[in-house]
Amino acid sequence: MWFQQVMFFLAGAGALGGAIGVVTLRNPFYSVLSLVAHLIFLAVLFLLLQAEFLAAAQVVVYAGAVMVLYVFVVAYVGGSDEPLRPEGGALRVLGPLFAFVLVVELCIALLGSSLGLIDSPGTDVPAGFGTPAEIGSLLLRRFLVPFEAASYLLLVAAVGAVVLARRRRGLEEQEVGA
Amino acid sequence: MSGTENTLVQIVKAIVIFAVILQIVPFILIAERKLLGRFQSRLGPNRVGFRGLLQPVADVLKLVSKEQSVPVTAVPWMMALAPLISIVAGVATLAIIPFGPPGAWGGDFGLYGIDVPIGLLYFFAFGSLAFYGLMLGGWSSGSKFSFLGAMRAAAQLISYEVAIGLSLLGVAMTAGSMSLVDIVEDQSGMWFIVPQFVGFLIFMVAGFAESARPPFDQPEADAEIVSGYNTEYGGMRFGSFFMAEYIEVVIISGIATACFLGGWRGPGPEALGPLWVLLKMSAFVFLFIWIRATLPRLRYDQLMSFGWKILLPLATLNVLVTAIVLVVT
Repeated sequence: MWFQQVMFFLAGAGALGGAIGVVTLRNPFYSVLSLVAHLIFLAVLFLLLQAEFLAAAQVVVYAGAVMVLYVFVVAYVGGSDEPLRPEGGALRVLGPLFAFVLVVELCIALLGSSLGLIDSPGTDVPAGFGTPAEIGSLLLRRFLVPFEAASYLLLVAAVGAVVLARRRRGLEEQEVGA
Repeated sequence: MSGTENTLVQIVKAIVIFAVILQIVPFILIAERKLLGRFQSRLGPNRVGFRGLLQPVADVLKLVSKEQSVPVTAVPWMMALAPLISIVAGVATLAIIPFGPPGAWGGDFGLYGIDVPIGLLYFFAFGSLAFYGLMLGGWSSGSKFSFLGAMRAAAQLISYEVAIGLSLLGVAMTAGSMSLVDIVEDQSGMWFIVPQFVGFLIFMVAGFAESARPPFDQPEADAEIVSGYNTEYGGMRFGSFFMAEYIEVVIISGIATACFLGGWRGPGPEALGPLWVLLKMSAFVFLFIWIRATLPRLRYDQLMSFGWKILLPLATLNVLVTAIVLVVT
Protein backbone atom coordinates (compact mmCIF):
# COMPACT_ATOMS: atom_id res chain seq x y z
CA MET A 1 0.00 0.00 0.00
CA TRP A 2 3.05 2.28 0.05
CA PHE A 3 2.18 3.30 -3.51
CA GLN A 4 -1.20 4.64 -2.43
CA GLN A 5 0.41 6.55 0.41
CA VAL A 6 2.99 8.12 -1.88
CA MET A 7 0.23 9.03 -4.34
CA PHE A 8 -1.85 10.50 -1.53
CA PHE A 9 0.90 12.84 -0.43
CA LEU A 10 1.82 13.78 -3.99
CA ALA A 11 -1.80 14.51 -4.92
CA GLY A 12 -2.46 16.28 -1.64
CA ALA A 13 0.56 18.51 -2.09
CA GLY A 14 -0.44 19.14 -5.71
CA ALA A 15 -4.00 20.05 -4.76
CA LEU A 16 -2.79 22.41 -2.04
CA GLY A 17 -0.19 23.96 -4.33
CA GLY A 18 -2.79 24.47 -7.05
CA ALA A 19 -5.22 26.07 -4.61
CA ILE A 20 -2.54 28.40 -3.25
CA GLY A 21 -1.54 29.24 -6.82
CA VAL A 22 -5.10 30.28 -7.68
CA VAL A 23 -5.15 32.99 -5.04
CA THR A 24 -1.52 34.12 -5.14
CA LEU A 25 -0.64 34.20 -8.84
CA ARG A 26 -1.00 37.68 -10.32
CA ASN A 27 -1.57 36.66 -13.92
CA PRO A 28 -5.20 35.50 -14.34
CA PHE A 29 -4.21 32.96 -17.01
CA TYR A 30 -1.77 31.20 -14.67
CA SER A 31 -4.31 31.48 -11.91
CA VAL A 32 -6.87 29.59 -13.98
CA LEU A 33 -4.27 27.00 -14.97
CA SER A 34 -3.39 26.32 -11.37
CA LEU A 35 -7.09 25.85 -10.69
CA VAL A 36 -7.06 23.21 -13.44
CA ALA A 37 -4.08 21.53 -11.78
CA HIS A 38 -5.88 21.66 -8.44
CA LEU A 39 -8.98 19.98 -9.90
CA ILE A 40 -6.92 17.23 -11.53
CA PHE A 41 -5.10 16.47 -8.28
CA LEU A 42 -8.47 16.39 -6.52
CA ALA A 43 -9.54 13.77 -9.07
CA VAL A 44 -6.47 11.71 -8.12
CA LEU A 45 -7.53 11.94 -4.46
CA PHE A 46 -11.01 10.72 -5.45
CA LEU A 47 -9.38 7.78 -7.24
CA LEU A 48 -7.51 6.88 -4.07
CA LEU A 49 -10.85 6.88 -2.27
CA GLN A 50 -12.25 4.27 -4.73
CA ALA A 51 -14.57 6.88 -6.24
CA GLU A 52 -13.68 6.21 -9.87
CA PHE A 53 -16.85 7.64 -11.33
CA LEU A 54 -16.52 10.82 -9.32
CA ALA A 55 -12.88 11.20 -10.38
CA ALA A 56 -13.73 10.82 -14.07
CA ALA A 57 -16.72 13.14 -13.76
CA GLN A 58 -14.52 15.67 -12.00
CA VAL A 59 -12.04 15.68 -14.87
CA VAL A 60 -14.67 15.62 -17.64
CA VAL A 61 -16.96 18.27 -16.20
CA TYR A 62 -14.64 20.63 -14.34
CA ALA A 63 -11.19 20.31 -15.91
CA GLY A 64 -12.57 19.41 -19.32
CA ALA A 65 -15.58 21.68 -19.77
CA VAL A 66 -15.94 24.40 -17.15
CA MET A 67 -12.25 25.26 -16.96
CA VAL A 68 -11.94 25.19 -20.75
CA LEU A 69 -14.43 28.05 -20.83
CA TYR A 70 -12.49 29.90 -18.11
CA VAL A 71 -9.24 29.47 -20.00
CA PHE A 72 -10.98 30.55 -23.20
CA VAL A 73 -12.39 33.73 -21.69
CA VAL A 74 -9.27 34.65 -19.74
CA ALA A 75 -7.06 34.10 -22.77
CA TYR A 76 -9.34 36.34 -24.83
CA VAL A 77 -10.09 39.23 -22.47
CA GLY A 78 -7.88 38.68 -19.43
CA GLY A 79 -4.91 40.59 -20.78
CA SER A 80 -1.86 38.52 -19.87
CA ASP A 81 0.16 41.46 -18.47
CA GLU A 82 -2.62 42.99 -16.45
CA PRO A 83 -2.36 41.89 -12.82
CA LEU A 84 -5.48 41.45 -10.74
CA ARG A 85 -5.40 44.23 -8.20
CA PRO A 86 -6.42 43.33 -4.67
CA GLU A 87 -9.50 45.14 -3.47
CA GLY A 88 -8.69 47.53 -0.65
CA GLY A 89 -10.37 48.22 2.66
CA ALA A 90 -13.13 45.95 3.80
CA LEU A 91 -11.94 42.80 1.99
CA ARG A 92 -8.51 43.05 3.57
CA VAL A 93 -10.08 42.80 6.99
CA LEU A 94 -12.96 40.48 6.21
CA GLY A 95 -10.98 37.95 4.14
CA PRO A 96 -8.56 36.82 6.89
CA LEU A 97 -11.39 36.98 9.41
CA PHE A 98 -13.53 34.52 7.45
CA ALA A 99 -10.49 32.33 6.78
CA PHE A 100 -9.78 32.23 10.50
CA VAL A 101 -13.40 31.34 11.31
CA LEU A 102 -13.24 28.53 8.73
CA VAL A 103 -10.01 27.17 10.25
CA VAL A 104 -11.55 27.16 13.72
CA GLU A 105 -14.65 25.41 12.41
CA LEU A 106 -12.59 22.76 10.63
CA CYS A 107 -10.47 22.20 13.73
CA ILE A 108 -13.59 21.65 15.83
CA ALA A 109 -14.96 19.21 13.25
CA LEU A 110 -11.67 17.32 13.02
CA LEU A 111 -11.08 17.10 16.76
CA GLY A 112 -14.65 16.12 17.37
CA SER A 113 -14.92 13.26 14.92
CA SER A 114 -12.26 11.64 12.87
CA LEU A 115 -8.85 12.14 14.44
CA GLY A 116 -8.99 8.74 16.08
CA LEU A 117 -9.51 7.09 12.71
CA ILE A 118 -6.27 8.33 11.16
CA ASP A 119 -4.26 5.37 12.45
CA SER A 120 -6.90 2.78 11.56
CA PRO A 121 -7.01 1.14 8.11
CA GLY A 122 -10.42 2.69 7.48
CA THR A 123 -13.73 1.02 6.81
CA ASP A 124 -14.12 -1.64 4.13
CA VAL A 125 -15.76 -0.47 0.96
CA PRO A 126 -18.66 -2.61 -0.26
CA ALA A 127 -18.29 -4.29 -3.66
CA GLY A 128 -19.33 -2.03 -6.51
CA PHE A 129 -18.73 1.09 -4.44
CA GLY A 130 -18.21 4.17 -6.59
CA THR A 131 -19.08 2.44 -9.88
CA PRO A 132 -21.42 4.18 -12.34
CA ALA A 133 -24.13 1.59 -11.70
CA GLU A 134 -24.06 2.16 -7.94
CA ILE A 135 -24.09 5.95 -8.24
CA GLY A 136 -26.83 5.79 -10.88
CA SER A 137 -29.13 3.75 -8.70
CA LEU A 138 -28.44 6.07 -5.76
CA LEU A 139 -29.30 9.11 -7.85
CA LEU A 140 -32.47 7.64 -9.31
CA ARG A 141 -33.78 5.94 -6.16
CA ARG A 142 -32.63 7.42 -2.89
CA PHE A 143 -31.79 10.93 -4.09
CA LEU A 144 -34.34 11.24 -6.88
CA VAL A 145 -35.92 14.51 -5.73
CA PRO A 146 -32.67 16.46 -5.17
CA PHE A 147 -31.36 15.05 -8.47
CA GLU A 148 -34.42 16.20 -10.40
CA ALA A 149 -34.37 19.55 -8.61
CA ALA A 150 -30.76 20.06 -9.63
CA SER A 151 -31.50 19.19 -13.25
CA TYR A 152 -34.45 21.61 -13.19
CA LEU A 153 -32.10 24.30 -11.89
CA LEU A 154 -29.69 23.59 -14.75
CA LEU A 155 -32.55 23.81 -17.24
CA VAL A 156 -33.56 27.19 -15.86
CA ALA A 157 -29.96 28.37 -16.10
CA ALA A 158 -29.73 27.20 -19.72
CA VAL A 159 -32.96 28.96 -20.63
CA GLY A 160 -31.70 32.08 -18.88
CA ALA A 161 -28.48 31.99 -20.87
CA VAL A 162 -30.42 31.74 -24.12
CA VAL A 163 -32.68 34.65 -23.12
CA LEU A 164 -29.72 36.84 -22.18
CA ALA A 165 -27.88 36.00 -25.41
CA ARG A 166 -30.94 36.81 -27.51
CA ARG A 167 -31.51 40.11 -25.73
CA ARG A 168 -27.92 41.19 -26.39
CA ARG A 169 -28.20 40.30 -30.04
CA GLY A 170 -31.36 42.39 -30.25
CA LEU A 171 -29.47 45.40 -28.88
CA GLU A 172 -26.75 44.97 -31.46
CA GLU A 173 -29.32 44.95 -34.23
CA GLN A 174 -30.77 48.19 -32.89
CA GLU A 175 -27.35 49.79 -32.87
CA VAL A 176 -26.77 48.73 -36.42
CA GLY A 177 -30.18 50.09 -37.41
CA ALA A 178 -29.55 53.45 -35.71
CA MET B 1 -11.88 -5.27 -13.11
CA SER B 2 -8.43 -6.69 -13.61
CA GLY B 3 -7.96 -7.37 -9.94
CA THR B 4 -6.49 -10.84 -10.49
CA GLU B 5 -3.59 -9.61 -12.59
CA ASN B 6 -0.37 -9.03 -10.78
CA THR B 7 1.71 -5.91 -11.11
CA LEU B 8 4.32 -7.52 -13.36
CA VAL B 9 1.73 -8.49 -15.98
CA GLN B 10 0.33 -4.97 -15.88
CA ILE B 11 3.76 -3.43 -16.43
CA VAL B 12 4.49 -5.77 -19.35
CA LYS B 13 1.14 -4.92 -20.91
CA ALA B 14 1.77 -1.21 -20.50
CA ILE B 15 5.13 -1.51 -22.26
CA VAL B 16 3.72 -3.67 -25.08
CA ILE B 17 0.82 -1.29 -25.76
CA PHE B 18 3.10 1.72 -25.69
CA ALA B 19 5.66 0.12 -28.01
CA VAL B 20 3.14 -1.29 -30.49
CA ILE B 21 1.12 1.90 -30.81
CA LEU B 22 4.19 4.07 -31.22
CA GLN B 23 5.28 1.75 -34.04
CA ILE B 24 1.89 2.14 -35.69
CA VAL B 25 2.35 5.89 -36.06
CA PRO B 26 5.04 5.71 -38.81
CA PHE B 27 2.89 3.17 -40.69
CA ILE B 28 -0.08 5.53 -40.66
CA LEU B 29 2.23 8.32 -41.75
CA ILE B 30 3.46 6.49 -44.85
CA ALA B 31 -0.01 5.11 -45.57
CA GLU B 32 -1.47 8.59 -45.39
CA ARG B 33 1.14 10.13 -47.66
CA LYS B 34 0.96 7.29 -50.18
CA LEU B 35 -2.85 7.25 -50.22
CA LEU B 36 -3.11 11.02 -50.44
CA GLY B 37 -0.82 10.79 -53.43
CA ARG B 38 -3.08 8.18 -55.06
CA PHE B 39 -6.24 10.14 -54.31
CA GLN B 40 -4.71 13.19 -55.95
CA SER B 41 -3.23 11.32 -58.94
CA ARG B 42 0.32 11.70 -57.67
CA LEU B 43 2.89 9.09 -56.83
CA GLY B 44 3.42 10.14 -53.24
CA PRO B 45 6.82 9.70 -51.58
CA ASN B 46 8.86 7.19 -53.60
CA ARG B 47 12.54 8.01 -53.07
CA VAL B 48 13.63 6.82 -49.61
CA GLY B 49 13.92 3.05 -49.40
CA PHE B 50 11.92 0.56 -51.47
CA ARG B 51 9.08 2.53 -53.13
CA GLY B 52 9.48 5.25 -50.52
CA LEU B 53 8.59 2.98 -47.63
CA LEU B 54 11.35 4.41 -45.44
CA GLN B 55 10.01 7.95 -45.81
CA PRO B 56 8.67 8.12 -42.20
CA VAL B 57 12.11 7.20 -40.87
CA ALA B 58 13.62 10.05 -42.86
CA ASP B 59 10.87 12.40 -41.67
CA VAL B 60 11.45 11.53 -38.02
CA LEU B 61 15.24 11.86 -38.37
CA LYS B 62 14.75 15.26 -39.92
CA LEU B 63 12.41 16.38 -37.13
CA VAL B 64 14.73 15.12 -34.39
CA SER B 65 17.77 16.87 -35.83
CA LYS B 66 16.06 20.22 -36.33
CA GLU B 67 16.70 23.22 -34.13
CA GLN B 68 14.04 24.29 -31.62
CA SER B 69 13.17 27.90 -32.18
CA VAL B 70 11.27 29.86 -29.53
CA PRO B 71 9.78 33.29 -30.32
CA VAL B 72 10.74 36.21 -28.06
CA THR B 73 7.11 36.66 -27.03
CA ALA B 74 6.69 33.02 -26.06
CA VAL B 75 6.56 31.39 -22.64
CA PRO B 76 9.34 28.79 -23.12
CA TRP B 77 8.54 26.31 -20.34
CA MET B 78 4.88 26.15 -21.29
CA MET B 79 5.78 25.77 -24.94
CA ALA B 80 7.84 22.73 -24.01
CA LEU B 81 5.12 21.33 -21.75
CA ALA B 82 2.22 21.55 -24.21
CA PRO B 83 3.22 18.75 -26.64
CA LEU B 84 3.92 16.55 -23.62
CA ILE B 85 0.34 16.99 -22.38
CA SER B 86 -1.02 16.03 -25.80
CA ILE B 87 1.10 12.88 -25.99
CA VAL B 88 0.45 11.76 -22.41
CA ALA B 89 -3.31 12.20 -22.74
CA GLY B 90 -3.27 10.25 -26.01
CA VAL B 91 -1.16 7.34 -24.81
CA ALA B 92 -3.10 7.06 -21.55
CA THR B 93 -6.35 6.56 -23.45
CA LEU B 94 -4.87 3.67 -25.42
CA ALA B 95 -4.87 1.60 -22.25
CA ILE B 96 -8.62 0.97 -22.38
CA ILE B 97 -8.88 -0.19 -25.99
CA PRO B 98 -9.62 -3.92 -25.80
CA PHE B 99 -7.75 -6.22 -28.21
CA GLY B 100 -9.05 -9.51 -26.87
CA PRO B 101 -11.09 -11.03 -24.05
CA PRO B 102 -9.54 -12.17 -20.77
CA GLY B 103 -7.77 -15.47 -21.30
CA ALA B 104 -7.68 -15.29 -25.10
CA TRP B 105 -3.98 -16.08 -25.16
CA GLY B 106 -4.04 -18.40 -22.15
CA GLY B 107 -3.30 -17.29 -18.62
CA ASP B 108 -5.67 -15.05 -16.76
CA PHE B 109 -4.83 -11.75 -18.33
CA GLY B 110 -6.88 -9.82 -20.86
CA LEU B 111 -5.51 -8.30 -24.03
CA TYR B 112 -6.08 -4.72 -22.94
CA GLY B 113 -4.29 -2.29 -20.70
CA ILE B 114 -6.97 -1.88 -18.09
CA ASP B 115 -10.67 -2.65 -17.92
CA VAL B 116 -12.31 0.02 -15.80
CA PRO B 117 -16.04 0.23 -15.11
CA ILE B 118 -15.88 3.89 -16.15
CA GLY B 119 -14.26 3.00 -19.51
CA LEU B 120 -16.01 5.53 -21.74
CA LEU B 121 -15.71 8.29 -19.14
CA TYR B 122 -11.99 7.57 -18.97
CA PHE B 123 -11.84 8.18 -22.72
CA PHE B 124 -13.71 11.49 -22.36
CA ALA B 125 -11.59 12.56 -19.41
CA PHE B 126 -8.29 12.18 -21.23
CA GLY B 127 -9.83 13.53 -24.43
CA SER B 128 -10.67 16.73 -22.61
CA LEU B 129 -7.22 16.91 -21.04
CA ALA B 130 -5.65 16.63 -24.49
CA PHE B 131 -7.25 19.98 -25.21
CA TYR B 132 -4.86 21.69 -22.79
CA GLY B 133 -1.97 20.59 -24.98
CA LEU B 134 -3.34 22.49 -27.98
CA MET B 135 -4.54 25.41 -25.90
CA LEU B 136 -1.33 25.96 -23.94
CA GLY B 137 0.78 25.36 -27.04
CA GLY B 138 -1.09 28.01 -28.98
CA TRP B 139 -1.28 30.48 -26.13
CA SER B 140 2.33 30.19 -25.01
CA SER B 141 3.71 30.58 -28.52
CA GLY B 142 3.05 34.30 -28.30
CA SER B 143 1.88 34.60 -31.88
CA LYS B 144 -1.46 35.73 -33.25
CA PHE B 145 -1.90 32.74 -35.53
CA SER B 146 -1.10 30.26 -32.78
CA PHE B 147 -3.53 32.05 -30.48
CA LEU B 148 -6.32 31.94 -33.06
CA GLY B 149 -5.66 28.25 -33.60
CA ALA B 150 -5.80 27.55 -29.87
CA MET B 151 -9.07 29.47 -29.55
CA ARG B 152 -10.58 27.52 -32.42
CA ALA B 153 -9.41 24.28 -30.82
CA ALA B 154 -11.09 25.27 -27.55
CA ALA B 155 -14.42 26.14 -29.14
CA GLN B 156 -14.38 23.08 -31.38
CA LEU B 157 -13.56 20.63 -28.61
CA ILE B 158 -16.26 21.95 -26.30
CA SER B 159 -18.86 21.84 -29.04
CA TYR B 160 -18.13 18.34 -30.24
CA GLU B 161 -17.33 16.71 -26.92
CA VAL B 162 -21.01 16.91 -25.97
CA ALA B 163 -22.06 15.22 -29.20
CA ILE B 164 -19.43 12.49 -28.93
CA GLY B 165 -20.49 11.80 -25.35
CA LEU B 166 -24.17 11.53 -26.23
CA SER B 167 -23.42 9.33 -29.27
CA LEU B 168 -21.67 6.77 -27.06
CA LEU B 169 -24.35 7.02 -24.38
CA GLY B 170 -26.67 5.01 -26.62
CA VAL B 171 -24.06 2.23 -26.78
CA ALA B 172 -23.51 2.31 -23.03
CA MET B 173 -27.25 2.10 -22.45
CA THR B 174 -27.68 -0.83 -24.81
CA ALA B 175 -24.77 -2.74 -23.30
CA GLY B 176 -25.71 -1.74 -19.77
CA SER B 177 -22.09 -0.91 -18.98
CA MET B 178 -19.43 1.66 -19.72
CA SER B 179 -16.56 -0.82 -19.64
CA LEU B 180 -15.31 -1.40 -23.18
CA VAL B 181 -14.73 -5.11 -22.51
CA ASP B 182 -18.35 -5.50 -21.37
CA ILE B 183 -19.53 -3.53 -24.40
CA VAL B 184 -17.69 -5.88 -26.78
CA GLU B 185 -18.95 -8.94 -24.87
CA ASP B 186 -22.48 -7.63 -25.28
CA GLN B 187 -22.17 -7.57 -29.08
CA SER B 188 -22.12 -11.37 -29.40
CA GLY B 189 -25.45 -11.39 -31.25
CA MET B 190 -25.25 -8.26 -33.33
CA TRP B 191 -22.68 -5.52 -33.74
CA PHE B 192 -23.91 -2.24 -32.31
CA ILE B 193 -23.45 -0.54 -35.66
CA VAL B 194 -26.88 -1.96 -36.62
CA PRO B 195 -29.09 -0.84 -33.71
CA GLN B 196 -26.97 2.25 -33.05
CA PHE B 197 -26.37 3.35 -36.64
CA VAL B 198 -27.26 6.99 -35.96
CA GLY B 199 -24.99 6.94 -32.94
CA PHE B 200 -22.22 5.52 -35.11
CA LEU B 201 -22.57 8.31 -37.68
CA ILE B 202 -22.60 10.99 -34.97
CA PHE B 203 -19.59 9.39 -33.31
CA MET B 204 -17.61 9.33 -36.54
CA VAL B 205 -18.39 12.97 -37.41
CA ALA B 206 -17.66 14.16 -33.88
CA GLY B 207 -14.59 11.92 -33.81
CA PHE B 208 -13.21 13.66 -36.87
CA ALA B 209 -13.82 16.97 -35.12
CA GLU B 210 -12.24 15.77 -31.86
CA SER B 211 -9.07 14.68 -33.58
CA ALA B 212 -8.99 17.98 -35.55
CA ARG B 213 -8.48 16.11 -38.80
CA PRO B 214 -9.67 17.51 -42.13
CA PRO B 215 -12.43 18.48 -42.90
CA PHE B 216 -12.54 19.68 -39.27
CA ASP B 217 -8.96 20.93 -38.99
CA GLN B 218 -9.87 24.53 -38.16
CA PRO B 219 -7.35 24.67 -35.27
CA GLU B 220 -4.53 24.37 -37.81
CA ALA B 221 -6.29 25.43 -41.03
CA ASP B 222 -3.18 26.11 -43.09
CA ALA B 223 -4.95 28.21 -45.70
CA GLU B 224 -6.29 30.61 -43.05
CA ILE B 225 -4.05 30.80 -39.99
CA VAL B 226 -0.68 29.45 -41.25
CA SER B 227 -0.62 26.31 -39.12
CA GLY B 228 -2.73 27.29 -36.14
CA TYR B 229 -1.63 26.30 -32.67
CA ASN B 230 1.61 24.69 -33.86
CA THR B 231 2.75 27.57 -36.10
CA GLU B 232 5.74 28.43 -33.90
CA TYR B 233 6.72 24.85 -33.25
CA GLY B 234 9.56 23.06 -34.97
CA GLY B 235 11.62 19.93 -34.66
CA MET B 236 10.46 17.14 -32.39
CA ARG B 237 8.11 19.39 -30.43
CA PHE B 238 6.12 19.79 -33.61
CA GLY B 239 6.67 16.07 -34.15
CA SER B 240 5.03 15.38 -30.79
CA PHE B 241 1.92 17.33 -31.73
CA PHE B 242 1.89 15.49 -35.04
CA MET B 243 2.23 12.14 -33.30
CA ALA B 244 -0.48 13.05 -30.79
CA GLU B 245 -2.83 13.73 -33.70
CA TYR B 246 -2.16 10.28 -35.15
CA ILE B 247 -2.57 8.65 -31.75
CA GLU B 248 -5.91 10.43 -31.52
CA VAL B 249 -6.87 8.91 -34.87
CA VAL B 250 -5.89 5.46 -33.56
CA ILE B 251 -7.93 6.03 -30.40
CA ILE B 252 -11.06 7.13 -32.26
CA SER B 253 -10.65 4.09 -34.53
CA GLY B 254 -10.15 1.80 -31.53
CA ILE B 255 -13.17 3.14 -29.65
CA ALA B 256 -15.31 2.91 -32.79
CA THR B 257 -14.13 -0.68 -33.30
CA ALA B 258 -14.94 -1.66 -29.73
CA CYS B 259 -18.24 0.20 -29.50
CA PHE B 260 -19.75 -0.38 -32.93
CA LEU B 261 -17.89 -3.10 -34.85
CA GLY B 262 -17.80 -5.83 -32.24
CA GLY B 263 -14.19 -5.35 -31.14
CA TRP B 264 -12.27 -8.63 -31.27
CA ARG B 265 -15.20 -10.60 -32.72
CA GLY B 266 -14.64 -12.27 -36.06
CA PRO B 267 -14.28 -15.70 -37.66
CA GLY B 268 -11.73 -18.05 -36.17
CA PRO B 269 -10.65 -18.72 -32.57
CA GLU B 270 -10.65 -16.00 -29.96
CA ALA B 271 -6.85 -15.92 -29.99
CA LEU B 272 -7.10 -14.15 -33.36
CA GLY B 273 -8.97 -11.27 -31.68
CA PRO B 274 -6.15 -8.72 -31.81
CA LEU B 275 -5.81 -9.33 -35.55
CA TRP B 276 -9.49 -8.49 -36.10
CA VAL B 277 -9.20 -5.41 -33.95
CA LEU B 278 -6.18 -4.22 -35.91
CA LEU B 279 -7.95 -4.92 -39.22
CA LYS B 280 -11.05 -3.00 -38.23
CA MET B 281 -8.96 -0.17 -36.87
CA SER B 282 -7.01 -0.02 -40.14
CA ALA B 283 -10.28 0.27 -42.01
CA PHE B 284 -11.19 3.29 -39.87
CA VAL B 285 -7.76 4.84 -40.37
CA PHE B 286 -8.23 4.39 -44.13
CA LEU B 287 -11.60 6.13 -43.81
CA PHE B 288 -9.92 9.02 -42.00
CA ILE B 289 -7.41 9.41 -44.85
CA TRP B 290 -10.04 8.95 -47.54
CA ILE B 291 -12.28 11.66 -46.11
CA ARG B 292 -9.32 13.98 -45.65
CA ALA B 293 -8.52 13.64 -49.33
CA THR B 294 -12.12 14.01 -50.45
CA LEU B 295 -13.88 16.73 -48.50
CA PRO B 296 -12.98 20.43 -48.35
CA ARG B 297 -12.56 22.16 -45.00
CA LEU B 298 -15.74 23.55 -43.46
CA ARG B 299 -16.02 27.24 -42.77
CA TYR B 300 -15.65 28.02 -39.08
CA ASP B 301 -19.23 29.19 -38.49
CA GLN B 302 -20.53 26.19 -40.43
CA LEU B 303 -18.57 23.94 -38.12
CA MET B 304 -20.07 25.56 -35.04
CA SER B 305 -23.66 25.65 -36.21
CA PHE B 306 -23.37 22.07 -37.49
CA GLY B 307 -22.15 20.90 -34.11
CA TRP B 308 -24.71 22.70 -31.99
CA LYS B 309 -27.76 22.84 -34.24
CA ILE B 310 -27.65 19.50 -36.04
CA LEU B 311 -25.31 17.03 -34.35
CA LEU B 312 -26.28 17.77 -30.74
CA PRO B 313 -30.09 17.58 -31.18
CA LEU B 314 -29.65 14.46 -33.30
CA ALA B 315 -27.49 12.83 -30.61
CA THR B 316 -30.02 13.76 -27.92
CA LEU B 317 -32.82 12.31 -30.02
CA ASN B 318 -30.78 9.14 -30.51
CA VAL B 319 -30.36 8.73 -26.76
CA LEU B 320 -34.06 9.36 -26.21
CA VAL B 321 -35.15 6.83 -28.83
CA THR B 322 -32.66 4.27 -27.51
CA ALA B 323 -34.01 4.73 -24.00
CA ILE B 324 -37.62 4.30 -25.15
CA VAL B 325 -36.76 1.20 -27.18
CA LEU B 326 -34.83 -0.30 -24.27
CA VAL B 327 -37.68 0.29 -21.83
CA VAL B 328 -40.33 -1.06 -24.22
CA THR B 329 -38.49 -4.24 -25.23
